[in-house]
Amino acid sequence: MRGSFLWRNRVLLTSGVLLIVSLHLISTGVHPGDLAARPESAFLEIISPVDAAFTRLSDGVSSIATGYLDLVHVREENARLRIELARVNSDRARLSELEVENRHLGELLELKDVLGAKAVAANVIGSDATGLSRTLMLASGSSDGLRPGMAVLANQGVVGKIISISPHASRVLLIDDHNSALDGFDQRSRARGIVAGLVDGGLILKYADRSQDIRIGDTIVTSGLDGIFPRGLLVGTIQSVHRGAPGLFLGVRIEPAVDFRELEQVLIVTQPPPHLDDPAKD
Amino acid sequence: MRLILLFAAFVVLGLAFESAVPHLVSFRALIPNLIIILVVDLGLRHHGVGPAMLAFAIGYATDALAGSHPGLNAFMMTMVFLVSYGISTRLMVTNALVGATVVFFGVIATALATVAFADGFNALSDTGSMLPGLTLQAAISAIVAPFIFSMLAASKRMTGLPVRAKRE
Repeated sequence: MRGSFLWRNRVLLTSGVLLIVSLHLISTGVHPGDLAARPESAFLEIISPVDAAFTRLSDGVSSIATGYLDLVHVREENARLRIELARVNSDRARLSELEVENRHLGELLELKDVLGAKAVAANVIGSDATGLSRTLMLASGSSDGLRPGMAVLANQGVVGKIISISPHASRVLLIDDHNSALDGFDQRSRARGIVAGLVDGGLILKYADRSQDIRIGDTIVTSGLDGIFPRGLLVGTIQSVHRGAPGLFLGVRIEPAVDFRELEQVLIVTQPPPHLDDPAKD
Repeated sequence: MRLILLFAAFVVLGLAFESAVPHLVSFRALIPNLIIILVVDLGLRHHGVGPAMLAFAIGYATDALAGSHPGLNAFMMTMVFLVSYGISTRLMVTNALVGATVVFFGVIATALATVAFADGFNALSDTGSMLPGLTLQAAISAIVAPFIFSMLAASKRMTGLPVRAKRE
């Protein structure tokens, strides 16, 4: 047995089989409820508390470092004042953190009222583990009523959609990911196109006809025709329009309305948007 | 079983670190790719069916926290394992320098292959802007790799696992 071809090449053969299995997963995709989705969901569930703990720990280390720098500065003046100031600073930092969180949640609540749709707020606890894709991890999952495909918003505009879920965590594909696409239009000229992400993280408007009147500074909003994002949500503003781009369409670059790195809380639309007409007819 | 538990602990901590820390560090390229380092160690020092399946499982676990194509990281990690295994069986010495070199090229190759797989080979023409950051991340990963290898070796000694691969 040990001298046989199969035994000598067992690592190569096993790896070959595993590569074929991976290719099968890539080509067919993994859908919620599939057997192949269970390990992914289980791992997301295992890692999310560790991830949240790491986020808290890293925030704590950052606060301690800031606090230490404050203390060093104050020590030069007065020891008693230093301790008191550190305490006041600590309290102020905590209060301002609560204030910021409160303001974010208040803004999300306003957005929820404006949308008139059912929505839930969630905390961001992590980002893409490899950095090659643009995804976020949320501390809410199916137990909070979230499902894959739901729209994720911030008070500044569109964030992305949920792509995978576990009972207490979920992952969001950001709109500037190179695999993301949503239907949008220019609010001024009503020119329609597909808002898509780029490999380097930028955002473009694809399939915008050369004859269309798109200008720098125009606002791009969602059309609602993709069935995921409610209509009229801010996507971003036109950063550049390249009329000499190769191909049939304009080369349009968009500045996203949302700073994805600064996101701390988001709003997830749990109720599908109503059927909408073509915005170009407006 | 001990090998699985040891690597599972390292993978959970590595993925949590890579997922949580980008919130603090604005430049993503400064964060090393810890998962590739673990898989390279597996390929260089553990030869067998179990480690190959473990590399696949590490990739599949990464799929739960990264990317939008389930199976893509599983594919890439199995490839990294296979290349590391191939190098290990052909070289007389598989020290930290060899491991760091494999990590350096592994980080760049897996990133470009991931883009090509996810977006098609045409998308590779858009990766020019990614390359400086990617090279920096690969270099940082290669610098960090010997320390991770040492930590793994110490953990293996503590748990009674072999530190080096047996020659076949």
